[in-house]
Amino acid sequence: MPKSHSLILAGLALTTVLAQGAFAENLRYAGATAPLTFDPHATNDFVTTAIARQTYESLIELNAKSQLVPGLATQWEYIDNAAWRLTLREGVTFHDGTPMTAEDVSFSIMRQASSPRYKSLFGQITEANVVDATTVDIVTAQPDAVMPVKLSLLFVMSKAWAEANDVVEVPDLGAASSESYSLRHANGTGPMKLELQVPGERTVFVRNDDWWDDFTGNVDRAEYVAITSAPTRLAALLSGEVDLITDVPLQDVVRVEETAGFKVADGPQRLYMGLEMDGTRDVALASFDKNGQPLDSNPFKDVRVRRAIALAIDNEAIVSRVMRGYARPISMPAAPGFQGYAEDLEKDLGVDLEESKRLLAEAGYPDGFRTTLNCPLERYVNTEEICRASASLLARVGIEVTVNGMVWPEFARMLVNGPDSSFHLIGALGNSGDVQDVFGAILHTRDDESGLGQQNWAMWSNTDFDAVFEKLVSTFDPDERAALYREGLRIAQEQQHAIYLHQPFLIWAMADKVDASVRADSAVVLSDVTVGTE
Amino acid sequence: MNPVYFARRVGHAVLVVFIVSLIAFQLGEVIGDPVTAILGLDAPASAREALREQMGLDQPWPVRYLAFIGDALQGEFGMSYRAQRPVADIIVERIPATVELAISALILSLWIGIPLGVVAAIWRESCWASALMTGSVVGVSLPTFVVGIMLIFVFSVQLGMLPSFGRGQTVAIGAWQTGLLTASGLAALIMPAISLAISQVALVARLVRAEMLEVLRMDYIRFARARGIRDRVVHFRHALRNTLLPIITVSGIQIGYLIAFAVVVEQVFQWPGLGTMFLAALTESDIPVITAFLMLIACLFAGINLIVDMLYALADPRVRLAEG
Repeated sequence: MPKSHSLILAGLALTTVLAQGAFAENLRYAGATAPLTFDPHATNDFVTTAIARQTYESLIELNAKSQLVPGLATQWEYIDNAAWRLTLREGVTFHDGTPMTAEDVSFSIMRQASSPRYKSLFGQITEANVVDATTVDIVTAQPDAVMPVKLSLLFVMSKAWAEANDVVEVPDLGAASSESYSLRHANGTGPMKLELQVPGERTVFVRNDDWWDDFTGNVDRAEYVAITSAPTRLAALLSGEVDLITDVPLQDVVRVEETAGFKVADGPQRLYMGLEMDGTRDVALASFDKNGQPLDSNPFKDVRVRRAIALAIDNEAIVSRVMRGYARPISMPAAPGFQGYAEDLEKDLGVDLEESKRLLAEAGYPDGFRTTLNCPLERYVNTEEICRASASLLARVGIEVTVNGMVWPEFARMLVNGPDSSFHLIGALGNSGDVQDVFGAILHTRDDESGLGQQNWAMWSNTDFDAVFEKLVSTFDPDERAALYREGLRIAQEQQHAIYLHQPFLIWAMADKVDASVRADSAVVLSDVTVGTE
Repeated sequence: MNPVYFARRVGHAVLVVFIVSLIAFQLGEVIGDPVTAILGLDAPASAREALREQMGLDQPWPVRYLAFIGDALQGEFGMSYRAQRPVADIIVERIPATVELAISALILSLWIGIPLGVVAAIWRESCWASALMTGSVVGVSLPTFVVGIMLIFVFSVQLGMLPSFGRGQTVAIGAWQTGLLTASGLAALIMPAISLAISQVALVARLVRAEMLEVLRMDYIRFARARGIRDRVVHFRHALRNTLLPIITVSGIQIGYLIAFAVVVEQVFQWPGLGTMFLAALTESDIPVITAFLMLIACLFAGINLIVDMLYALADPRVRLAEG
């Protein structure tokens, strides 16, 4: 297959300005990594999902404000016996022209539920029953009140197409020995059809004129390229080789803003950053007294110490200096965009060094102590700077922190195969972005049996909190649920489950002629993008 | 050629490749855990265990290593965890980009480095020569990515002349995708090749200068001068020719070096070669790709060394005798 690779770039190299005029409704955009596959069930990489989402649609969609809106399902209701009933949209066709049926939806639900990558989101699904031509029931092992939120990540694929191309099963990592057809071919219902996917390099979409919804943008062709090196990605934008880039480093924002013809857009990401502290061990790891002797206790287990740390860490300063204002300080394990977030519970603890020292003394550490902050060096924005800033803020109350920077694979292994950390920086979102999932996965006491607390890397444990969670899972009444969300968040705040730092913003840069708004899941929604003629 | 000598050299090469394969096999696990890389942080422990078993990662490493070697000998390198594609396919489609980049950089470094070295040797007293040599130190010490980014900002952003990333349009010649036959392909090659060549230029220039100074002291040069032959002819016909032999040897080794160390340049220019593939694999603990890449590089170096040893043995009987 001859790579008609960069036909556009070829012209661009010499005639940038001309090219922009000639392909007015062609969007070229770049991000740090390439989509790994176009099989939406065979990946949980959020960049891949954000890109595949242009081709494959979910049953329920999230709008720009992260609210649930109808997608391929127009209605959803809980009908007892741990089942949700979905009413499907009529008149939807796949890109190959075949109509979407209840069979396709049922097939897709079970296919994604079988994927090892989606066990935490959909592993509970036991059946997807076709009731009639436009109705499907999803049955789970336990009642699941947040299923609709999760369904914003469930993508519908054509059953007949999957059968014809031998991709009925999600490609099996252990046994497969060849590339699966669904890796670079797609047949969804979305606003864009996949024209070309060159793994690791570029992706080309064309507009699907038969899409059931209205286009609010004017893009008829879009090309995505991966440019890993941030300075190069910025250069590609400034030289006009691409029209929009995602993942703009904070230090380059000013440069883009000061360059005529370009602008920066930002928006909150569905993620919060926090420092987690060991809530279980009797002796904290890698922690010492001021003489360098290993501690025989775990200061982090004492809520007074946790509060003392919170009072010493100035998260507003971290947001304004380290994050250069591209983040929002938080005070709970949730943020805007998370279902269940309670804005009125936000409170600024403030910085109070005297009170902090008093609490440390009361807890038996009048001189402070030494400890190690495990810090992932990538994955989230400016992590190393956040860790260093936290360390120097804590030094003011006598807690000497050594920052232990780790590359992501090393850091992830430490957590997953341990967790072997008593103090670390982490970004969290729960699995679906619903606070219930944050509670169940991150704050609930770790329990291998039930699978709860699987991402509770700090092994924080609070029986009152766990009780609130058990109640929340089995409550379907929205008002009662809202009260329980608040109760859980309040306990987390009072017990200082973690040091809540901030919600980072996603930053994109684009040419002035491009109009695109930043979405919390970092998807560039091509059907909403407008490219002007300049 | 002495068969014993030949066998020993081959044995050496195989040993090197074997040791590298052992190290490479461990590397992916030293830096991370493939199951975590594939499933992410949010997978339940049961899914993790199931996948570990399915991929055979629960076996002790010597067992997995033997299976890996067995497959590798049959040309099977397994599936990339990350890309979900056969590693062999990925490598085959990425080799042309890296080889074309490395060879272009080599040619460029010789083309610039040899004249510089000659000039520095012939006029070794002049201030130009010492300026050249000082400049070459700067060339060696400039980090490749700094050179690359500077080039991009001047020629892509400021002047809009050259593309900042990618390989331009490619044309297929059989299985080989070449970028050398299209205008955009050549335009895309210029800056990466310069970035990669720049440290090599200094190396070549210094080598040529040293060799040339050596040769210029030889008796036959003096006799040539005494015979009244013009300087130009003496320098270029007599001296330079005799200087070139070691340069050719070094170039052979350089090409291996350039292929292996194109990683940084490829990253800066998003050049779709083996280097970008390797770096992406490292961040995801993609063991099959990491191992295959390192094995390939080991084979390349071992192969080049073997060929050089053979050529030396052919050219110089003393090598054969000494080695027995």
